[in-house]
Amino acid sequence: MSKPVIYEVVDRLPTGGVTVMALKSLDFVLPGQWQNLTGFENTIRTVTGETDESLIQQIGDRAVTLFNDKSEGYQRALWLYQTVDSASGMLGTAALANKIGQDISFLGILKNLTPKPEKLQSIDLCVKLVVELVAFCQINGIPGDSIGDFLAALKDYGGESLIRMAALVCFDGLIPLGGDFADKALSVFKQTSPSELEKNQTFKGVNDLIPGNNPTGKHSFITESFESTKGWMNGFVASKGLTPEKVVDNLQKFVDVSKDKLDYLGAFMDMYVKYYEHTGVQTLARRLIERSVAEI
Amino acid sequence: MLSLRWRKIFASVLLCLVLFVSACSTTEPSRFSQTQEETTQRDAPPAVADEAVQGGNFNKFFPRSVQGYEVVPAQEKQGFAEYKVNQDGKNVAMLAINDTTGTPAAQKFQNSTMTIAGYPAVEQGQNATAVLVNDRFQVKVLSRDPSFTKDDRAAWIEKFDLQGLANLS
Repeated sequence: MSKPVIYEVVDRLPTGGVTVMALKSLDFVLPGQWQNLTGFENTIRTVTGETDESLIQQIGDRAVTLFNDKSEGYQRALWLYQTVDSASGMLGTAALANKIGQDISFLGILKNLTPKPEKLQSIDLCVKLVVELVAFCQINGIPGDSIGDFLAALKDYGGESLIRMAALVCFDGLIPLGGDFADKALSVFKQTSPSELEKNQTFKGVNDLIPGNNPTGKHSFITESFESTKGWMNGFVASKGLTPEKVVDNLQKFVDVSKDKLDYLGAFMDMYVKYYEHTGVQTLARRLIERSVAEI
Repeated sequence: MLSLRWRKIFASVLLCLVLFVSACSTTEPSRFSQTQEETTQRDAPPAVADEAVQGGNFNKFFPRSVQGYEVVPAQEKQGFAEYKVNQDGKNVAMLAINDTTGTPAAQKFQNSTMTIAGYPAVEQGQNATAVLVNDRFQVKVLSRDPSFTKDDRAAWIEKFDLQGLANLS
């Protein structure tokens, strides 16, 4: 596989389509929090507010330099965001590949979808959450001098990072698993043996970058991470009054989906909505540019 | 009739050609392609010099939260640390320290006539103010909201423990 070129990756972010529509449908959860920022130069201008061409050149050059140095962690973060999305949606993608780019109708492709069992959905959710934590550290390091500092940095999530977490809660939690998704996922995950985990498609994709010396170590790292963020997720759902129905209602304004087939909807979202990669690239680009403008 | 038909065919062939050529012209190299090429060579130098100070060593020199402003850690890598300044939950500025070793960042201070807290200072673009400490460490404050002015940037630079940073190397 050829190495990613950061400005091409950011330039290629779509301005429309199912992923962008699905993310826009979450505006009711976090009004005005997310704008679909695309294009490398455009991101530089928007993040820094600078217009001077020579300055933009310097910022972009520094960003490219930092990204291309593997030891800086940005390439690993990109890989994580891309892999966790494609691994979870791999099932059935080939059969439907020819439909991508056409007007996607939920009912039209329903016959090709198989709902994912609850167990797989639960593992997916847990692995995705841990990927967020690992990618955060690859991009930002571990900022501050204490655990408290680190938690403050996590709490300060905004923009595309916050909308990614909202999408995780709504699309990978509420829709496939229901209102008590966090407890359900955690108890299912705890009952999953490390050897079962090893066979999971989503986990296999990102296995190498999950902390832990062996499957048992990785299993407990994921369990602990999920346990410590479960409170945040439940609080998020409670404070916004979120229900699967509300999420689907808003989704229906943007994507043609049917409410009585929620388990199929989860499979549909898995396949077509690449929100992790989309917002992950946006987070990475923003942080890389913030560092670059400070370093030049 | 025949000539009309041929004219139609000619027109559509021409249209295809125009579309083809214009499609090709969009693939002109990016303004960042030279850097892309240089930094992906096998012997490309690292983005951050090996001898650059670990970002964690900079933490203690940053200003702390004050009335009305919350200072939150954002990034920490070798040679670099950055904090956000939030006002009522909104990001209004960024604070950064970086080790300029191995980068050309310190050069811009050579012709500087401005000083802040006795250190050579520059305004960079519209939203950044920086000082150079001990010819090596750049301390920069960046506005992220129009309410955070040039004067605010200079004032926040003075809140850093610049003396402590000067003694670091």
